[in-house]
Amino acid sequence: MPRLFATWRGWVIAAVIALQVWLPLRYYLGTRDPHDERFAWRMFSPMRMARCRTTFADRGAPIALGGEFHEAWLELAQRGRFAVVEAMGAELCHRRSNAAITIAMDCTYLDQPAASFASGADGRMHASTPPADICGAD
Amino acid sequence: MSRKRHRPRAPAPAAGAAAPPAAAPATTTAVATAPEQPVFWFGFSVPYAKVVVTRVLLFSVLALDALLQIRHAPRYGAGGFNVAQLPGLDHLGPSRVGFGASELALAACFAFATLGVATRAALAIAAALYAWLYFGSQVDSYQHHYLVVLVLAIASFVPWQRPANATAATPIRSWALRLILVQLALLYLWAAISKLDGAWLDGRTLALQLGSASGTPVERLPAISRIVEHTVGWATAAKLVLVSEVALAATIWHRRSWWLAAPLGVAFHIGIAMTSLEIGLFAYIMIAAYALVIPDRVYLAAAPLVSRVGAPAGAAIARAVSRVPRGWPTAGVALVAALALGFACRLEDAGAIALVVAVVALAIGSRRARRGASPVPPALALLAATTLWFAVDHLSTVTVDYYRLWGGSSRRLGDRDDAVRAYTRLVDLEPDSAESHLHLGRALLDRDDGDDATAGVAELRLARAADPHDARPYVEEARWLARHGHRADALATARVGVAVDPHSKEAHAAIEALVSAGGDPAGPAGGDD
Repeated sequence: MPRLFATWRGWVIAAVIALQVWLPLRYYLGTRDPHDERFAWRMFSPMRMARCRTTFADRGAPIALGGEFHEAWLELAQRGRFAVVEAMGAELCHRRSNAAITIAMDCTYLDQPAASFASGADGRMHASTPPADICGAD
Repeated sequence: MSRKRHRPRAPAPAAGAAAPPAAAPATTTAVATAPEQPVFWFGFSVPYAKVVVTRVLLFSVLALDALLQIRHAPRYGAGGFNVAQLPGLDHLGPSRVGFGASELALAACFAFATLGVATRAALAIAAALYAWLYFGSQVDSYQHHYLVVLVLAIASFVPWQRPANATAATPIRSWALRLILVQLALLYLWAAISKLDGAWLDGRTLALQLGSASGTPVERLPAISRIVEHTVGWATAAKLVLVSEVALAATIWHRRSWWLAAPLGVAFHIGIAMTSLEIGLFAYIMIAAYALVIPDRVYLAAAPLVSRVGAPAGAAIARAVSRVPRGWPTAGVALVAALALGFACRLEDAGAIALVVAVVALAIGSRRARRGASPVPPALALLAATTLWFAVDHLSTVTVDYYRLWGGSSRRLGDRDDAVRAYTRLVDLEPDSAESHLHLGRALLDRDDGDDATAGVAELRLARAADPHDARPYVEEARWLARHGHRADALATARVGVAVDPHSKEAHAAIEALVSAGGDPAGPAGGDD
């Protein structure tokens, strides 16, 4: 049996392959955010065509995001990426004193029924819950 | 049985003594190996000619790609917001300036690698910089940049430089080259798995991304999309993509199937290059990488031919080069020329980065000189890099796009000083552009600080002079006049706008707002930048 791990080179090879098997597999094993296809080599997949209408509100009043974030971030929000949307919400809490920021996201897909997500009090996006203020989250 | 053994990490056979004759295939992986290490990885070798061709093609395309990325720099750190690819790195992500400077440095690293100067160090630095740019911010959503990070990191372990007395056929053994191929195979495999979905297989996904279903009129679709729509249709094309990816996953890493993988992969990526997908030079990067997959026997057959055909030119070049002194005076001239080009380049911070890379080139040259080698190659590599910077600056829209996008995002995000700074530079670059004068005029009137109003109106008048049929400079001036209580003048100016362009919706809207009970004519901010 050849010993791959006899040298550091073997460890590098094994690490690269393990990473390239595990990271994409993680997406299929179930991920919190189905829109986040990073590291999964899902270029131009049907999920890439998801369109999400993401609404940020402060005490119920919608926030115009054009003057808050660069359009590249707005585009990622439109693609439904939770990590970006959550960070944008946290940033709005930081920028506005005494704010109560809620996030609602309605997404349509090519290959599955539409779905809605909303912010939880923990500052993270969840499926089918009423939007909660994220500004109290840690 | 010898294929199950391997010699662990001896350098590639020295040229001359160990190299096989040029006619002998250098493709065999069954190099004598020490026991206990898998020959699949550690016995993998390719002819030196392939290493050189791959190096030149791949890193020159990456150098060009790095410079073309600079137009995206303004989105990095804009508005003081960032989300990194990896948790905890949000505050370490690149800024606009850091991104632009890094891309210039990356292009220099790739120029060094292309020319075989300090290749492994250049690639290690490039891998680190590329990784920082990619992992530092999710604003880079191109998965192929992630692939480039991986390939560069692995490529740092490839012996790219010419061994002493190497010929085209000299076998270069490298586990890292094999790992790059396996990495590509895994990418194709996962890409294929992601397409095992009804919405892909029935062609809907592809049609929406590339076809008339995307909303693009048929006559404006790229030729390849029109061909698909008028022949096989998107469902068949989608299945062909899937089959191609499965075939490439199965064949790209295995020497015996390169005869299939090379033409299939090149054709596949040429097809992608012909689409309207906004993926920069990715398809060309992949085509360059396929130099590694072209069967070794092609290189071995081509080498004598190239050598015979190129012999007269080669001899002439060699004669010319032999007349050039290979010492410090030549290196100095090259360095000065490189710095002059760097400072003449209009990309932000190009002069400073050229200076830093010149210091590195000097250090490499000194090290080479101490070992009795010529200090000229590092200086020439820097000259090649800054020549490329200068060419991209003057032959592409990168520099103009950079300042236009920087000004646009600064204006939208309320950073009026940066907007004025960016648009002032834009006007310097394009003094005859009506659009640039309009942007600067609007930014100055937005800021309205000190002499800004006078300067802003002057810029709007320059915009009018450059394009007498554009109503927007009149509308902007009318809005500014209205904001300052000069309603009658504002109305008159907006009416001139309608006169020069009767179809201008902005001008009509401004007049309506002014006429209706002293309404505010300030319409939506222009979004054309």
